[in-house]
Amino acid sequence: MKRILAFSLLAATIVASCASTSTGTPQASGSSPTGQHLKIGLVTDIGGLNDKSFNSLADQGRQQAQAQLLVVTSVTESKQQADYVPNLTKYAQDKNDLVIGVGFLMQNAIWKVATQFPNVKFAIIDGAPTDDAGAVKNLPNVANLFFKEQEAGYIVGVIAATMAKNKVGAAIHNTVCSMGGLPIPPVDRYIAGYQDAVKTVSPTTKILNGYSQDFVDQQKGIEIGKSHIAQGCDILFQVAGGSGLGYIQAAKAAGVYAIGVDADQAAVAPGTVITSALKKVDVAVFQTIRSVRLGTFKAGDNSFNATNDGIGFGTVDAIVPADAKAAATQALADIASGKITPKDTVQVK
Amino acid sequence: MTWEMLVGASVLAATLRLATPIALAALGGTMSERSGVVNIALEGSMLVGCFFGVVVADRSHNIWLALAAALLAGLLLAALHAYASITLRADQIVSGMALNILALGLTTYLDYEMYGTTGTPSDLVAVPDLHLTFLNGIPYVGTAIGDQNWIVWVGLLLVAALQVFLFRTVLGLRWRAVGEHPRAAETVGVNVRRMRYAAVLASGALAALGGAYLSLGVAHSFTDGMTGGRGFIGLAAMIFGRWTPVGALGASLIFGYGNALSTSLQGATVGGVRLPVQLLGTLPYILTILAVAGFVGRSRAPAADGLPYETEGHA
Amino acid sequence: MTQLQQPATTGPGTESPAPSVGQLTFQWAAGPAIPVLSVAIALVIGAVFVLLSGNDPVAAYSALVQGAFGTPYDITETLVSAIPLVLTGLAVAVAFRTGLFNIGAQGQLLVGALAAGWAGAQFATLPGFLLMPIVILLGITGGAFYGGIVGLLKALRGVNEVITTIMLNYTIVFVMHWLLQAGPMTAQNAFGTPASTPIGAGARLPVIIPNELVLFSRLHAGIFLAALAVVVFWFLLWRTPLGYQLRAVGLGARAAAQAGIDPALHMVLVMAIAGGFAGLGGMIEVSGVFGRVYDGFSSSYGFDAIAVALLGKNSPLGIVFAALLFGAFVHGGAYMQSHAGISSNLVAIIQAFVLFVIAAETLVRSLTRRRHGRKPVEAIA
Repeated sequence: MKRILAFSLLAATIVASCASTSTGTPQASGSSPTGQHLKIGLVTDIGGLNDKSFNSLADQGRQQAQAQLLVVTSVTESKQQADYVPNLTKYAQDKNDLVIGVGFLMQNAIWKVATQFPNVKFAIIDGAPTDDAGAVKNLPNVANLFFKEQEAGYIVGVIAATMAKNKVGAAIHNTVCSMGGLPIPPVDRYIAGYQDAVKTVSPTTKILNGYSQDFVDQQKGIEIGKSHIAQGCDILFQVAGGSGLGYIQAAKAAGVYAIGVDADQAAVAPGTVITSALKKVDVAVFQTIRSVRLGTFKAGDNSFNATNDGIGFGTVDAIVPADAKAAATQALADIASGKITPKDTVQVK
Repeated sequence: MTWEMLVGASVLAATLRLATPIALAALGGTMSERSGVVNIALEGSMLVGCFFGVVVADRSHNIWLALAAALLAGLLLAALHAYASITLRADQIVSGMALNILALGLTTYLDYEMYGTTGTPSDLVAVPDLHLTFLNGIPYVGTAIGDQNWIVWVGLLLVAALQVFLFRTVLGLRWRAVGEHPRAAETVGVNVRRMRYAAVLASGALAALGGAYLSLGVAHSFTDGMTGGRGFIGLAAMIFGRWTPVGALGASLIFGYGNALSTSLQGATVGGVRLPVQLLGTLPYILTILAVAGFVGRSRAPAADGLPYETEGHA
Repeated sequence: MTQLQQPATTGPGTESPAPSVGQLTFQWAAGPAIPVLSVAIALVIGAVFVLLSGNDPVAAYSALVQGAFGTPYDITETLVSAIPLVLTGLAVAVAFRTGLFNIGAQGQLLVGALAAGWAGAQFATLPGFLLMPIVILLGITGGAFYGGIVGLLKALRGVNEVITTIMLNYTIVFVMHWLLQAGPMTAQNAFGTPASTPIGAGARLPVIIPNELVLFSRLHAGIFLAALAVVVFWFLLWRTPLGYQLRAVGLGARAAAQAGIDPALHMVLVMAIAGGFAGLGGMIEVSGVFGRVYDGFSSSYGFDAIAVALLGKNSPLGIVFAALLFGAFVHGGAYMQSHAGISSNLVAIIQAFVLFVIAAETLVRSLTRRRHGRKPVEAIA
């Protein structure tokens, strides 16, 4: 039955961020002399390869590495939470040089397996090795790949606020909205950054927020979208995976604007999606694989943020005025320089 | 919490939108079980309807072909079920479960192969909404029903038509007779097997129309597992509605209303306490249980429902 | 759908009213050839799909088998995957046996897990000999309570169990979101992972295979609980007056009335028993695998269980074999994807064909040239 009745999986856009001071030390990779193919294994979480979110982005990074680096890669989809440990273990047993786990649901599994295979390198997207008590236990063979999604949320929030303030195109009600899948911290950090930007750039703009209670169901996303639009929203930011595609569709049907998440979603609805809040999981996966190749693998926290192009904003639609785009570029620079620190808790629930 | 959140026109409009795919699945289930075949593969038929509708919409850019493909896909899946349960006298529950798994595996697999990295195209032809402009000025009604999708109206028509068909026509009487007393129906010259085949095929097509509504009418795209269990909810609605088309619609509307509330009540407070958004999600399900327990209670399935029928030559 | 007399009576394993363990083994092994042959036919059809997808079926299947049984570690992992399926399979089967269709094993498993996880954390400091029985009991009670609601609504108000089990499956998912994301059970976790507080050491089911034997095996003592549950299932249904009564209810209210049984009471009882099995399954996952409750940790045990019960013909040993087969699909399927590059969705397609061919057993029977002597209505003994 798998996902037929399988409700909202805690999958899609789930993410975690953290204050990422680097604690790990660069580690020389003695295991694989250059010129020999490295073996890389990727384990998805229960969202599966086609979640159009971080699992599929991670897989794109893997495929890119396969094409450009001297590596042999393979992927395993996890069907249940209980599969994480054996899926990671199998790759470790098969003497892979690097095993990558996608998603913070795998934090405890990574800790278990990485302590059992100290000679295998691991990486985890959106998390860190976590012991049975739930405490972070950094390991010398695990790279924790983090993203500051509140920064990405902030940048697209600047575009939304600027357009709302200046009543650009269909954005005439000075109201902007967002929809998460579920109110869990990783989703809320995107929304928090978005709201922070709107409050900063355009304090008079009305903000609404809602949740589809699902990461798969498009119709639920559409209903939240219709409800928001009826309340005057004309810029809608989705943080809800497949359900969020419905939110975008609601905007498209009503002729207002939407903002994509995680990947560049401009192609989902050209003319509707004005930009996307990017979280470059593919880049992180590719760079981590390359670091093993080059012997620069760094255990501990690896932050992907505005300073290293780990987050950003996607294709900007032609409707977006130059000043809004410039403001976003400026915000990105200000975040990178530390001038702006986006909030990471939601203000308008 | 305000009245607007509970019974506003937009809540009603949402109710209708959310009830439609469930009602179509329930309608399919009703037609099949009235003839004596349990079809729990409605979910599967919906899902293949969703997917193949989108595929053909993408390839042909013709909405009629896309709709036809959706219905045909649902019908073909149901045909497998009909062959298993009528000709092979297979266990109908197992066959239905198998086809649900097949539909999910197949559509997910093909979706990844065909549209994996990019998703389904953004410029799909779609089933449009029907804008009833003459309702524009009328308060409440205009908002509630003025901009519903064509398939919503087709679904409502089908409910009425099939209610009349089942209970007011000779063929409908035979249809039900096959589900109640197949032996007796056969004695008076009804071809039980042919009737049941027709019923199961019809149920697949009806469920697939519900699927097409989701993908071609509402979402204008396909995502894996996008039916999200609506076929099973439809099954519940069928029983709740006592195996009648009108009852199935009523049950679906109650469910749809609960679903609409879980959207409209977000941010609402009761006595100063904010309702947790997670718990709002339980509304359609709890409302349905309460409605069934409170008002409907016992319902009786067609007597021969789920029983394979063996003709004299076979037994 | 209400009556559903038949689904419980589909196979050779169900016809004898009081089989002994020996008979059951024999029946399942001899009724026999059918499930085995069905699996074989399904694999052939699956092979065609693999071929159509441009892959090598031989490589695919050898990866599947190797993945499931290739090393001692894999065998233990296949067992770990099978354990929850055995329990939920029993939950579905006990209801089928008594004429009820329990789609709700999924929800019952989650309630059992939540109850066990709550108790294991709440009384974490208690020693194992006290805490373990509490956790087991609460897991069973939680599931039994959730299943009991279904029976109660059916007994009091005649509400069809298909409706209630489907609705309750969804309900608990959202309640679980609340409990583990922002509710009373939510633990402070690294980076906001929605989960409950870890259970105490005394509530953990120990791993039973030492590292010297199989390195890093996860096979836990829950396998004994599962085995015990299978025995209880058999003993309860075929060796107690209650079991006789429950099966009589399954054959219809009239038969039950003739046997002097109150059908209402028994509906409640049987759904509570079913829920108890599933709840125990949830408890075992929490105590044996995770050590806490993760939000959404199970997305399909309860649904695969329906397939497991039907494939196992609702018989104790049949369910064990079917759960093992599905466990092998789960664990071997992952290896098939990583080593043969076969999409995990193809595994689902093959699983579907296994089920479908088993459903259409007359097709298989005609291939084996056996007569199908199945009676349309089963007689009560």
